[in-house]
Amino acid sequence: MNATFAVVKRELASNKMSFILTVLVVLCATTSGDSAIALSNGNYTWLLAAMSPFFFVFYVYPKLMYLGTSKKDFYAGSLVCYGFLALLVSLANTTIHLIFDPLNHTQTVMNLMDLCGWMENGAFIAFLQQGIFLFLTMTFLHVLLSMQSHWYGWLTDGILVAMICIFTPIASLRQLLVGFFQIIMLNSNAFLHIGVCALLSTGLSIIGLVVLKRKTL
Amino acid sequence: MIELSGVTKQYRQTAVLKDVSLTISEPGIYCLLGRNGAGKTTLLKSIAGYQNISYGEIRVNNQLITTATLDTGVSYIENFAKHFHLPVKKLLHIAGEVNPNYDFAFATEMMERFELDGKKKFHHLSLGMKTMVSTIICLASNKNVILLDEPVLGFDAIMRVEFYNMLSESFQKHPRIILVSTHIIEEITKTIQKLIILDKGRIRFFDTLQAVEKQAYSISGLKSDVEAATKNLNVIGQDSVGGLVTSYIFDTPPKQIASLEIHPLTLQDFFIQMVGHRGGIRK
Repeated sequence: MNATFAVVKRELASNKMSFILTVLVVLCATTSGDSAIALSNGNYTWLLAAMSPFFFVFYVYPKLMYLGTSKKDFYAGSLVCYGFLALLVSLANTTIHLIFDPLNHTQTVMNLMDLCGWMENGAFIAFLQQGIFLFLTMTFLHVLLSMQSHWYGWLTDGILVAMICIFTPIASLRQLLVGFFQIIMLNSNAFLHIGVCALLSTGLSIIGLVVLKRKTL
Repeated sequence: MIELSGVTKQYRQTAVLKDVSLTISEPGIYCLLGRNGAGKTTLLKSIAGYQNISYGEIRVNNQLITTATLDTGVSYIENFAKHFHLPVKKLLHIAGEVNPNYDFAFATEMMERFELDGKKKFHHLSLGMKTMVSTIICLASNKNVILLDEPVLGFDAIMRVEFYNMLSESFQKHPRIILVSTHIIEEITKTIQKLIILDKGRIRFFDTLQAVEKQAYSISGLKSDVEAATKNLNVIGQDSVGGLVTSYIFDTPPKQIASLEIHPLTLQDFFIQMVGHRGGIRK
């Protein structure tokens, strides 16, 4: 357990660049005053969730291995870290949405939490829905990035790109894609949303373990 | 305990390890010798579970080792190991946090003995110092099996002597299997118990240094005399200059004959004869 938390500590410490960039973007991002709609700066907190897996997979993993970390501790530590970061990002965005977004009286402020319909369930449930969705995103990225040094990683990339290219122009298939995102993201049914995201995260975590078991150094 | 059974590693059509079978059952310091490209690093990385083999089986303490083994109980370090760009002291501390049986006292003592500046960041160290940090981390991990790949690369003569002392002290403190690959043959003889010679992906020799001292020798003399004396012996190499012949033997020494000169082989000469090469030309 101590080794797992040591991994969490090291991953967070090695993720400074993601923190700095996210904070800079959140603080500096602006929307034109002429526009009727302004994007909430809280949306940009999601950047941290998008960047962290890159650092963990490509930078932290080999270094921790050379320090003698077991793969088991690395993976457990990474999942704990994603959970922590998901809650942290969700808390930051929820706080910004509740406290800072209402300060803009001249424009309609759009926050992803509104767009996804999560705020219909109240701030706390929305915070949880956002957290589980971000955890799913980070787990997905971790698995996808871990595969990149193998042929099946490139195959997965190809399938994902092909799916988007084929599904988008064909109406019936597009509906399928839309339906999928309506379940995992644009979903105001908190119970269904959290359940599906938790299920997918568990599935991805198992796939991630299989990928890690094939990972060389 | 390390058990290798029929281990073969292929990169496309090229076999780097060819049907290697080896059992290391006793704790000790073992030296892995081999020419460049003999397969030493591949062998060590495979035992550490850092890469998969094509055929065969590797077991460490009866646990099957593949990349799928999440906790191998093996500590492996190579000389170009990448570490966090952090001060040495901090690096040794993190290594202690992620290794449950880490010996902090040993790591700190070694850091002081090798005059490693604890405040200096890893990337600012010389090659020798970087290798030393990696080696200290590996030895202090106290895992059951320690694999050191070219640990003395970039070391000056004094550092090498200190390193061999460190290796012996670490082993005396925590007896376990320590496998060291190196090219600097003679210096390590005082430290090791057994020698493994790997040539072109195959194990050519696995025995004690005493066996080399007792059984490895050269016989020089007239061709007919040498041939008669070495008739039923294991000849590992031969040189000839004019009518004089020198045969290199790994076998029970014959009785001294007046017309023949018999000399023990140095470890380096034994190694050269075993791998069967000289000056890049196969004899």
